Amino acid sequence: MHRLLVAFFLMLGGFDAWAEDSFWDGLQVHGFASQAVIKTSDNRFFGDSPDTSFAFTEIGINASLPVSPQILLAGQLLSRRAGDLYDGAPALDYGLADLTFASSVEQRWGVRLGRIKNPLGLYNETRDVPFTHPGIFLPQVVYFDKIRNQLLSTDGLMLYGEWRGDQGAISFTAGGGQSVVDENAKWTYLPLSYRFEGEFKQKDPAALFSLWYATPNERFKFGLSGMALELQLHPGPGSPLNAGTVELFYGIASLQYNAEDWTLSAEYVYEPIEWRNILFPYTKATVESYYLQGTYRLRPELEALLRYEAYANPDDRDGTKTSAITGGLIPPFNTFSKIWTTGLRWDINQQWMMRAEYQRHHGTFILSARENPDFSELQEDWNLFAIQAAFRF
Amino acid sequence: MNRRHWTLLFASLALMFWSLTLTAQELIVNRATPHQPISRNSARLCFTMRLLSWENRLPVKVFVFPDNHPTHRQFTKSVLGLFPYQLRQVWDRQIFSGTGRAPVIVATEQEMIEQVAATPGGIGYVESGANHPQIRILEVR
Repeated sequence: MHRLLVAFFLMLGGFDAWAEDSFWDGLQVHGFASQAVIKTSDNRFFGDSPDTSFAFTEIGINASLPVSPQILLAGQLLSRRAGDLYDGAPALDYGLADLTFASSVEQRWGVRLGRIKNPLGLYNETRDVPFTHPGIFLPQVVYFDKIRNQLLSTDGLMLYGEWRGDQGAISFTAGGGQSVVDENAKWTYLPLSYRFEGEFKQKDPAALFSLWYATPNERFKFGLSGMALELQLHPGPGSPLNAGTVELFYGIASLQYNAEDWTLSAEYVYEPIEWRNILFPYTKATVESYYLQGTYRLRPELEALLRYEAYANPDDRDGTKTSAITGGLIPPFNTFSKIWTTGLRWDINQQWMMRAEYQRHHGTFILSARENPDFSELQEDWNLFAIQAAFRF
Repeated sequence: MNRRHWTLLFASLALMFWSLTLTAQELIVNRATPHQPISRNSARLCFTMRLLSWENRLPVKVFVFPDNHPTHRQFTKSVLGLFPYQLRQVWDRQIFSGTGRAPVIVATEQEMIEQVAATPGGIGYVESGANHPQIRILEVR
């Protein structure tokens, strides 16, 4: 506690030295906007994709202000339209105060308070910023867009620390709070009960952690991160459903190697889920999924992408059990997804980027029931083609 | 090979080396920052915006050229030992998650020198040499 007090007064000291400049001098404002066009052979993905969908638009604007070298205030507004899943209503993406207690060449530690993007995997923190990840769509078996908000952000606090030496850097975050869950969770975890009224909310505070190692030149990175969450259904009046819960842990292992012309990334997700007192084909399931991704920079402004991703339920790899339990209502191929993706990214200049992408899908696990409520219309093998234009400043 | 050839070879190698050091990019800092040479790791921390203040508690303020500027590409690779796309990834992750900042981008060498000279705690780089009373060249070890 003593140390904390000392750190606090040191911060105030820093504030004095800083105050000689204009308070607003350090204000930085950045933003981005993107628009995609999506065409699928079958199945709806981000809108009416079989008839060509324009319903994938992302607009964000953020500002950050260092109140002192040790205190950073930052916030971002995000408008995201994604088919039937998101309507583009602006929302606070993050809004936080970052307090650094100690910062030197060897180490840094501090705390973030407010709405914080969950530091899960390689991409979750900036998952909606097209420039920060390869491909128009993130690997869906790992960063599920059908239930994006489960992983998105937390209203709470996050401790962070980093130690640096000649052998590399180790960094961690640990924290928790209120997870920003929305309607899409209900559609994913309770696909047979969406017709009834009721709210699906977080029960206890969610817990989060991440642990990373990186070599000094950041050629090699390895990370483990995870989140524990319990959701509870609050049935509406007249609903025949119980106030059951869904408990889950999302754990992800990440690996990345960066060479001058190419980058290799791989991530593996392990997610045990338990349904209690709730209408679902089974009471326990384990999500197991992974992707392997290679990007190759043909020129500094031109990047090619190749990715394979796969999801299956280890207890029911071909989906026949699930299908049988539901009396054939859920087709077997809705329990897995195997996807090949290839794409090309062109950074026209510092502001503009264009992308094209082709995906070959086997299985429909990654699709949202919200966009495809009639399971009998789903097609097992389907194709996706998309292009995207993005702007940043 | 006779002796004359050897001398010629040696002389041309020396000339090559000399011209290489002439074109090597140099890290510059404002005079108000500490004097000592800095390690490559410290330089990396500065340019990835993860070192917040100097030893004398002045805030670190970083200036860079645009991503595709030849001096930026060369400096990133040969002085920092990073690839330019790695720096961009780190900055983007920080500014679009609210966990950090991006450096200030300047367009010309002239502007780079003026900004670093006018900013206590300022750090940047130039293609070669910077003659300004408020600027010091820092050795990276």
